[in-house]
Amino acid sequence: MIPTRRDLFAWGGGLAGGMLFTPVPWKVLDDVSIWSQNWPWIPQPARGPVEEKLSSCTLCPNACGMRVRMAAGSPVGLSGMAGHPVSRGALCPLGFGAHQLNWHPSRLRNPLHRGRKTSWEEATAAFRKALGEGPIAIIDGRTGRAASTVLERFAAAHGATYAAARTAEEKALGPYQRWTGVPTSSLGYDLENARTIVSFGAPLLDGWATPGRFTRLWSERAAGSSNPALRLIQVEPVQSRTAAFAWRWVNVRMGSESALASALARVLMEERLVTARGPMPSESVNELAGKTGLAAETIQSLARALVERGPVVAISAGDNPSVAALNVVLGAVGARGGILRRGGGTKSPVPVEALSGRMRAVLIDSTVPWEVRPNVDAEVFRFAAWHGGTTTADWLLPAPGFLEALTDVPTPPASAIETYAVATPLMAAEGSKDAARFLAEIDPAAGSLEDAIKARCEAIYHAGKGGLIGPEPQPVKGLASADKLYEALGNGAVWTGEAGTPGGLRCDLKEWPGPSAMESPAGWTDGWTAPVLPPLAAKLYRESDLRQAPARSDV
Amino acid sequence: MTSAATGVVMADRRLQVRGEARSSTARFALWLAPWVLLLALGIYAGGLCLYYGLNQTNMNNRFAFGLWIFLDLGIIALGAGAFFTGFLVYILGRTELKPVLNSAVVLGFICYSGAMAVLMIDVGQPLRAWFTFWHPNVHSMLTEVTFCITCYLLVLTLEYIPVVLRNRQLRKLPPFVVFEHRMHLLMPVLAGIGTLLSFFHQGSLGGLYGVLRGRPFAFRQGFAIWPSTFFLFILSAVAVGPSFLMLVTAAARKLTGRKLVPSNVFPRLGFISGVLLAAYVALKAVDTLIWLNVTSPAVGFAPWEYYAYKPFGTTLLFAEIVVFGLLPAVLLVQGRWLLPGAALACCGILLNRFVLTVQTLALPTLSFDPFLSYTPSWQEVASFGGVVAYGVILYSLSYRYLPLFPQSKEQTHVSGR
Amino acid sequence: MKARYGMAIDLDRCTGCGACMVACASENNVPRLPKATERTGITPMLVHPVSDGKTGVAFIPMPCMQCEDETPCVKVCPQQAVELDRATGIVMQMPQRCLGCRYCMTACPYHSRYFNWWDPAWPAGMERTLNPGVAVRMRGVVEKCNMCHARLHAAEDKAAEAGKRQIEAADYVPACVESCPTGAIRFGDLNDGASEVAKASRTPEAFRLLARLGTEPKIYYTSKRAWVRALAERHPAGEPSQPAAPVAAGGGEVKHG
Repeated sequence: MIPTRRDLFAWGGGLAGGMLFTPVPWKVLDDVSIWSQNWPWIPQPARGPVEEKLSSCTLCPNACGMRVRMAAGSPVGLSGMAGHPVSRGALCPLGFGAHQLNWHPSRLRNPLHRGRKTSWEEATAAFRKALGEGPIAIIDGRTGRAASTVLERFAAAHGATYAAARTAEEKALGPYQRWTGVPTSSLGYDLENARTIVSFGAPLLDGWATPGRFTRLWSERAAGSSNPALRLIQVEPVQSRTAAFAWRWVNVRMGSESALASALARVLMEERLVTARGPMPSESVNELAGKTGLAAETIQSLARALVERGPVVAISAGDNPSVAALNVVLGAVGARGGILRRGGGTKSPVPVEALSGRMRAVLIDSTVPWEVRPNVDAEVFRFAAWHGGTTTADWLLPAPGFLEALTDVPTPPASAIETYAVATPLMAAEGSKDAARFLAEIDPAAGSLEDAIKARCEAIYHAGKGGLIGPEPQPVKGLASADKLYEALGNGAVWTGEAGTPGGLRCDLKEWPGPSAMESPAGWTDGWTAPVLPPLAAKLYRESDLRQAPARSDV
Repeated sequence: MTSAATGVVMADRRLQVRGEARSSTARFALWLAPWVLLLALGIYAGGLCLYYGLNQTNMNNRFAFGLWIFLDLGIIALGAGAFFTGFLVYILGRTELKPVLNSAVVLGFICYSGAMAVLMIDVGQPLRAWFTFWHPNVHSMLTEVTFCITCYLLVLTLEYIPVVLRNRQLRKLPPFVVFEHRMHLLMPVLAGIGTLLSFFHQGSLGGLYGVLRGRPFAFRQGFAIWPSTFFLFILSAVAVGPSFLMLVTAAARKLTGRKLVPSNVFPRLGFISGVLLAAYVALKAVDTLIWLNVTSPAVGFAPWEYYAYKPFGTTLLFAEIVVFGLLPAVLLVQGRWLLPGAALACCGILLNRFVLTVQTLALPTLSFDPFLSYTPSWQEVASFGGVVAYGVILYSLSYRYLPLFPQSKEQTHVSGR
Repeated sequence: MKARYGMAIDLDRCTGCGACMVACASENNVPRLPKATERTGITPMLVHPVSDGKTGVAFIPMPCMQCEDETPCVKVCPQQAVELDRATGIVMQMPQRCLGCRYCMTACPYHSRYFNWWDPAWPAGMERTLNPGVAVRMRGVVEKCNMCHARLHAAEDKAAEAGKRQIEAADYVPACVESCPTGAIRFGDLNDGASEVAKASRTPEAFRLLARLGTEPKIYYTSKRAWVRALAERHPAGEPSQPAAPVAAGGGEVKHG
């Protein structure tokens, strides 16, 4: 029998209908739904046991305590370490995305010589040669670390200059160091005991010093209150976030912060609102007021507000001697709620700005912000974990990235309390080397990081002061040995020393300081040592209206 | 002429509708060429969207619906002529409209299949579209729309098949003739089902926006689970369906130079369209007043604010109701300016759909929201151009090879050609 | 016992630092895509800067408002890819079931829903930093804040291991709440009258955005500033509020805060 066209249609129809009663179409549908959820090119998180480690953030000197969630050997999330004496469980907005930085596309993986791939051997040979010819300088970005000891020791042994870049907070403490001889790394603000804070452009609520410290304090004592226990007066020509949330915002003309500080000091002394007597600003209140754009009466009422509720302390955005002198007039230097001398700290090295002229070579540590370029004509060896774009460095040497190498974390700038922590490597750093190890390989006498950290532990242990905060809080005296301290710090504990005490600081002003150039306030990104920002920072800069994109590359 | 070209011409001749003059193969090919190009561009653009994802469009998180949804709603409303003509002919027995019925079915099929094609590009995961049937959320207007449109497209396909089977060559096959005959008996049933389905999805398309509690510009009170836009959409769609049918037929008449339908059809279509449009305008006006005075203020939205942002001023509201509503209704009922009236009515429904889809999303909801704008990307425009081209091509082919206007033969003598 | 998780966000404490946005994106494996803008990026937590047009500035952190009643997105989703979990009050988005029609996005008055316009991608190696508790969403689906549901799961697992029925409140804290340096975002069970959120939600300073729409959002805001509270609704009587970022104000004035 020859099938007719009709039969074909009948069979076709029957087949289609019959298929519905087989698993085939349903299995296909099911598979489609699974495929459409699991395309092979969609990355999925690695499975593995999740564990939490304690550490400290090392991306800027502000030493926030961190909890690091680790899965399958990689960090998968960061959060603040509750109970940390300075950072108080907070991290900055950038910090929350820091764990992704090590895979940033700008990560430096190979030593580069003027943009060309080279080897560590060549870099070492070139540096040895330069060292032989001299003179050279070694620039540190964060003093007081074990690595700093190595850099400094190497510099001393080879006749090199050991210089350091400073943060805005350290610069702001500069005048007190000049007047009292106490290094900035031993000075801190006793914000916790202050009741009035007048900030001359310092971004207290938006990236000043250790982020959790002032924001938490402000939140507890000032936020939302018209008569706060902590009065924050912000002097700033623009309405920054700090100005917007201050108790009072004093809108001065750009660059007239020194003039206002001087005018306030003059009013305080003329109206005998303070007991201090000393050199007065040469200009009259009216002359100074003219510079600031404020009425003299406004300045007078502001001066009265300053002393209404003590202790009061003034904070500047950068090195501003007039503001420092105002603190002297207010009696805030060496006083409770003012500027205190605390334990720890090291002699301040030569500031990087002081370097000039011709040198044979300059070695820059990875803790020095990318933008900092010493004003010297030299062959530059720059350590960095990331390529920050344009550079004048001849050699770019890959340093370990975030949480990839052992480093210690000394007291953050501006802190009134001494702290010490250690960040142990949580990941392997392939092909990278930090400046301290690079120099120790050239001259083993410079010593190792481990030894320097152990030495610091010995010192803390023998002093027997303070205690540990972290997984197992206990006083130092309760520890069996310095090795136990080293071990505890390696597990994420933070050593906290004693808070600074009033007294021990004496400033005698010979004359009222002249006006100083205003330094633009630092923000979250300025203290950030890495030349790149975490990819997720784009949520703040590009994917929302929350913040202006920083000048620094955000890729 | 090469043998291949000869073959094409011969095939073209053999397939054409018997006893009716059609343009030469070359002329027809020339007519199709630009549309084929546009279709190719549309397929390319749609392909880009499917391959690279919807980042090819200019839609964004705030303008989550764009040009496509506006035009989908527009052409589905215009395609309402198909079900409504079927309803009039088969259910109400208005046989005088039978001459345009086939044309209406083809138009409906084009509008609905085109809209479906665009929707498949518009969703982010087309492969999961069937989930709606598997895990339907019965409370969602979109579920209703999806079910009804899918089913109605099936009905339209069933209605289209007999028209296709009446092709001269296909009629030579006995099983097809029998099948076609059987299908014809089914037509009243299909018309009934089609009417029911269309009634619901035209309404649900309106409900789509009317239920948006979070968008007070679109939100409307209503009857039971249906907001007022549900009923307004049905009414406006059946009102302009005949107008669109009239416009397309008039365009075909102009292009072919043939009369195609008896002279009493247009006034009849126009009258139906006009009366329904008048009813729609009246109800729309009442609905607008209730919304402006009751519904919107109740949730804290001042009605004047909706019209505070250019280009969405009160002029637009006036244009929608009066210039593109009342005016065409009068023109269509009165019967002297049928085609301008029909054109205005069609523009009016597009304007209504535009306002509901685009203005709703452009207007701020939070007190600190900005007013938004959006411009479609070329891929969006081109994929829609492809759908238009698809429609023109399918309609042209249907006209050439199928008895789209069965009574056209009797009308031939009227025409000059 | 049923919980109704909610937040009370103190707008007088939010300084707009953005830590919550970054912490949220990190926790939820949200990619950073080079072409994403403020209109196409995924920010389940989004902080809006607002101003009163003079010197008043506020920042409004906006996660999903977790509407309790007539939940707009739940109602409109054609295939039940969104549901309101009655045991927790969390509006759950299931990206695996979403077909990407985006109807829910047009329905949401808070613009709290985000579409994956691109396939998620990370620079080579960075996928190792993905949070193992949260699946990555593919392109073409909608996502939103689900109150760090993975953390709730983890807390429930922990409670179950300890043989307890109820989770410890301290074990379930969403990433944004945890990251806030000023403690502006308070989180907890609104059904528990003694919880901090429940108390805050009952103060006269508390308000909810667009509450008159009747969707009963579970995110409360508090502020002592009247103009900030007035942002809750559009104003039928006055001028429409205009959004503005903090800007430099002229003149030498002292602001009394």
